[in-house]
Amino acid sequence: MNAPERALSFLLDEDSNEQKITYSADTKVSNAGTFTINKEDHTVANLLRMQLLRDPSVRFVGYIHPHPLIHRIDLKIQTASSTVAPIDVLQSATEDLAGETDHLITQMTEAINKWKKENQSGIGQFN
Amino acid sequence: MPHQRFPKVEILSIQPHEIQFLLSDTDTSMANALRRIMIAEVPTLAIDLVEFHENTTVLNDEYIAHRLGLIPIKYTPPDSMGGGDCNGAFLPHRECVCYERCPRCCVEFELDVNFDATIRERQVPEHERCLPFTITSADLRSSNDLVQPAHFLSLEEEGASHDQGISIVKIGPGQHLKLKAIARMGISKEHAKWSPVAVATYRFYPIININEEACSTLTQEQKQQLVDVCPDRILEIDAVSGKIVVSEHAWETATFTEDLKITQSAMKKRPEDDDFITVEHSTDRFIFSVEGTGAMDAEEIVMSSLRVLKDRLHYLGNMIEALKESGM
Repeated sequence: MNAPERALSFLLDEDSNEQKITYSADTKVSNAGTFTINKEDHTVANLLRMQLLRDPSVRFVGYIHPHPLIHRIDLKIQTASSTVAPIDVLQSATEDLAGETDHLITQMTEAINKWKKENQSGIGQFN
Repeated sequence: MPHQRFPKVEILSIQPHEIQFLLSDTDTSMANALRRIMIAEVPTLAIDLVEFHENTTVLNDEYIAHRLGLIPIKYTPPDSMGGGDCNGAFLPHRECVCYERCPRCCVEFELDVNFDATIRERQVPEHERCLPFTITSADLRSSNDLVQPAHFLSLEEEGASHDQGISIVKIGPGQHLKLKAIARMGISKEHAKWSPVAVATYRFYPIININEEACSTLTQEQKQQLVDVCPDRILEIDAVSGKIVVSEHAWETATFTEDLKITQSAMKKRPEDDDFITVEHSTDRFIFSVEGTGAMDAEEIVMSSLRVLKDRLHYLGNMIEALKESGM
């Protein structure tokens, strides 16, 4: 009766004009801000957070998934200097991860083809 | 790109329903993201709407509709033989421009089984004519030849089964089931019926370190004791030198139990001494094991999950770019 629609856990709510990602700068700390990414969960958030930790220009990064029934994550980033903005670091982290995934796709395709050639030249015929 | 990693993949085994591979030079966050996507976000086909025309069976409409939804539906691309990725071939029904349903976003299945008519067709002998038989997934007739229910996981299962497919309901004399089922594309986040995997897990590659210097202070009985105490048999005594060595298949069988540690602390002369043998989790090598339900081939599931992750990251990249340009 009160159950929300399951699809709302991954589809943006068009009625309320929900944005995928919004930013609010932190008023008390310099070079810091919080990105609110809607309709995402630990899958992407942890990936971004660990990638940002590897960036030396990031002083602090953390994410919160407030509750399993609330479908957004808050990603808080503080950079080490004012020359680099949090959004720049986030952008380069996303690009690095996309590059890593691309590399993984080629590696995986090659590995599968190589294994198939070496092991079972006939396996495709018996499906 | 400043801090990009370059992961490596080594396939251990591929079967149509299961794949095992080694993923290295990457982080737990990437391994976990792939695992989560394989379980929850790989799009597959499953029956979503059922129109009942006749149901005089012992199960009620929604029960049968629930069972139909859980049947794995296989899409075979035109140029291949096994279950493939349906992501490009179909549109999610919410995005399709059609009014209600069309071949671009849906596949229709029909099922019409009448006990009395089937008994006549099969020419069942007189004394067996009142015995119930099973309506299975083999009775579903698809409107799209490339899309069929996955009746069995493997040839062995097919050989061992008495039925022609996944059983839906058993019917007896005078009963009739007639329905039209519509299958749509979706992800497991919406309902578990759309999950392509039965199991998708990874474990950590073990790093086993033997402190040779410390081990040389042990007696042969103590060494044998250390080898025997491991339930996962990761250690052996080398026949020639009498030393403890790591066994060949240790990485496959290692289960990271505490037995070794407990036995070692009893053997140590002082509690703060170094351990003779340590077994640790590797932080950048993972052994993945993915088992499908029959809807998609296991290697297709892995490839699809990588593509889903790539699309997601590109989408986020575009949104971040838009946010940057709009001046935040």
